[in-house]
Amino acid sequence: MKEQDLKKLFEQAGKASASDEARMRAKHAAMQAFENAQEEQKTSEDAQGNRSGNRPISENNNLIGRIMMHLSNRWLMGGFATAGLIGLVFVTTWQARQTQVDAPLVASRFDQETNVGIQPVEELAKPKAPQEVARVHKERELAVAESEALERRDFAIASKKQRIAAPQMTGIANDAFNVIERDDRFQQFDENRVKSVSDEPFSTFSIDVDTSSYSYVRKMLNRGNLPADDAVRTEEMINYFDYNYPVTGDREEPFLASVGISDAPWKQGNKLVHIGIKAFEAPAEKQPDSNLVFLLDISGSMSAEDKLPLVKKSLHLLLGQLKPTDTVSIVTYAGGTGVVLEATPVAEKQKIVAALETLAAGGSTAGESAIQLAYNLAEAGFKKDAVNRIILATDGDFNVGISDPDKLKELVEKKRESGVFLSVLGFGDGNYRDDIMQSLAQNGNGVAAYIDTFSEAYKVLVEEASSSLFTVAKDVKIQVEFNPATVSEYRLIGYETRALNREDFKNDKVDAGDVGSGHTVTAIYEITPVGSNSGLLDAPHYDANRRTHKPQAYSDEYGQLKIRYKQPESNTSLLISKPLMAGQEMSDSLAREFNFATAVAGFAQILKGRSYVDWDYKDVIEMAKKNLGEDPYGYRSELVGLARKAAIIELEESNE
Amino acid sequence: MELSEEIIRKAQQGDANAFSDVLDSSYELIFSVAMKYVMNRQDAEDVTQQVCIKLARSIAQYRFDSSFSTWLYRVVVNCANDWHRKEGRHHQSDNDVAQNPVSHNSDVAEQQLYLKQVLEQINTWGKGYLDAVVLVIGEGLTHQAAARVLDVTESTVSWRIHEVRKRLHLLESGGQKA
Repeated sequence: MKEQDLKKLFEQAGKASASDEARMRAKHAAMQAFENAQEEQKTSEDAQGNRSGNRPISENNNLIGRIMMHLSNRWLMGGFATAGLIGLVFVTTWQARQTQVDAPLVASRFDQETNVGIQPVEELAKPKAPQEVARVHKERELAVAESEALERRDFAIASKKQRIAAPQMTGIANDAFNVIERDDRFQQFDENRVKSVSDEPFSTFSIDVDTSSYSYVRKMLNRGNLPADDAVRTEEMINYFDYNYPVTGDREEPFLASVGISDAPWKQGNKLVHIGIKAFEAPAEKQPDSNLVFLLDISGSMSAEDKLPLVKKSLHLLLGQLKPTDTVSIVTYAGGTGVVLEATPVAEKQKIVAALETLAAGGSTAGESAIQLAYNLAEAGFKKDAVNRIILATDGDFNVGISDPDKLKELVEKKRESGVFLSVLGFGDGNYRDDIMQSLAQNGNGVAAYIDTFSEAYKVLVEEASSSLFTVAKDVKIQVEFNPATVSEYRLIGYETRALNREDFKNDKVDAGDVGSGHTVTAIYEITPVGSNSGLLDAPHYDANRRTHKPQAYSDEYGQLKIRYKQPESNTSLLISKPLMAGQEMSDSLAREFNFATAVAGFAQILKGRSYVDWDYKDVIEMAKKNLGEDPYGYRSELVGLARKAAIIELEESNE
Repeated sequence: MELSEEIIRKAQQGDANAFSDVLDSSYELIFSVAMKYVMNRQDAEDVTQQVCIKLARSIAQYRFDSSFSTWLYRVVVNCANDWHRKEGRHHQSDNDVAQNPVSHNSDVAEQQLYLKQVLEQINTWGKGYLDAVVLVIGEGLTHQAAARVLDVTESTVSWRIHEVRKRLHLLESGGQKA
């Protein structure tokens, strides 16, 4: 078979022409569809009364073109293929119970006010409308179809690998293999509901610096699908972006919390309370030494272009971020366990690069405890006051020598106490157990990141190198106490999988998220001020349920923000607190950052089904575009493109 | 394909005559790409009709951020893939059809059948390979242009084409059963 032959055959095919009859038929059908579309357009305009006939297409054409060009040059459009990393933490049955109790109460309000034109809350509360089920179903079908194809493609490699590895593959590793190339798994959760300040004035959660939900959503949209509800974790979408919040100059305080109040753009009468945390950024020369051990999966399945070759490129990038005195070791597993490189100072970069280059996927024996070897190396090269970290790179094969997941977790936990942390870098597509990766990284005080392309590697390993490597505060928890005299209802946007109980806040034994050097974390509450009729909760019928709050002292405060954290080496938490002032002043630049985060939050909530927001993709686009800021790498512009895609996909699906 | 921006904008605003012009000047291109995807006139006519209907519904979504033909290709690719998903499943062939040399003397229908088999095989490799082959080898687009249509990076297209070349070559040499 030669390419010339193929070309010739194509040419011949291209010479064929359609019958006149078919042509007429097609044109007729299309003209019919065109008229129908105009009719529908008109009806929806009449119904909504707010859409102008001229869509906003003419303005900014050139700008859009430039952005698109810029993005595609930067590999930002399209090519990303990312599977989500799932945090399996803090599943609260407590929350589910509360929702059930409150639902009838909320619904009763709409019984009386059905003319507002909002869907009854019962319907909103249902997890998925039939249409959405179909959507998810379709998406799943597509994913299966694709993975089936992948399976065929990799059949030869996989079966070979299975034969070799089967005897050792029990427990975790076996599981990992079985779900490989089948589907991506998500923890299910319900969106945070609206809470009454009288009933529950305290809101507590752990911070989350993971970003993988965004990469996953991006992958789905670029493929032309809307993501499944559970795949959209709003806080991870928001925290994918870096925000230019004011930064602390004082090393003693590891981060600075900025707060701001704005109007809720998707609901008149409601306000948004923004909390933005920016961690202390360790200057390069003051960054601690690093003692890194790369633990690399070189099983046969890693041979694909977006796996081992990308691992090598990624590690090259990381090397560039290290100091000459830092040391690097390399251990491989799953295709032959062994120490490829003993601890080598980065000054001898050529030696490290050469060792990396010799790595090839697919080998023969699996066996010895690779992870134990890695810890041995890390401990042998242990540096006090330094970053001692194992970086595990894999596509989902956790055959690291310990097959019981609990034992593996235990080991990682135990070693964390001794000062050796673990981070996990995921490679490849739909091919791994992200729940395991996530749990290992969390137990190892590390970051789990998913790397699908060179540019994502750049983002994670170069731009965010210091934040991924140097923890400045650990177990960071946020608690907001709302003031019932000024706020009647609140809703935390996102962080569903990170909810904590009120008493967990002060309990230093309860683990929470860590913040690395320079990290930003953003949380947004939507609140209904007392006196506004924009709330969802009805006033109680019985006097005994009414609590009147005399507006007296603190009548200008919406609430109190409290943050607890531990210094990296400490086991005792420290407290930061500041009031959330109703008339909080914000600088222009802070308002811009908060507004961009709001656009992302709105986007995520639209993707999740618009249960609480009366907003559309065009609003996301408008708000995001106004608040791009400098956007040196084009990440924010990418969001605009994604919102556009989502709008088109939704429209097409509603037409089908 | 000569389509002025003015006509497209008119069509977007609901002008039926303008849309009719869009259809007339796009039909040949759509059909010829569809033909390369499905290798059968009747099927290609069906796909083309689907594309025309889709155009009617979504022309308002075209944002002038790429050339109209890029956008049009994208619609065709989507419809052709839909068609393959619905119809193409049961045609999978495990034989290495590409191993049989092309006889330049065989008649056109036979050659088409042969090409159809090759394409079906490519289609079993996974998403995107067939798209890349049709656009780059069939339509003669540059990798960059194909990447824009498929909304992937240029390197992805290059890699897919490279993979196709490699595998077809492999099949030809008969060395695939290592």
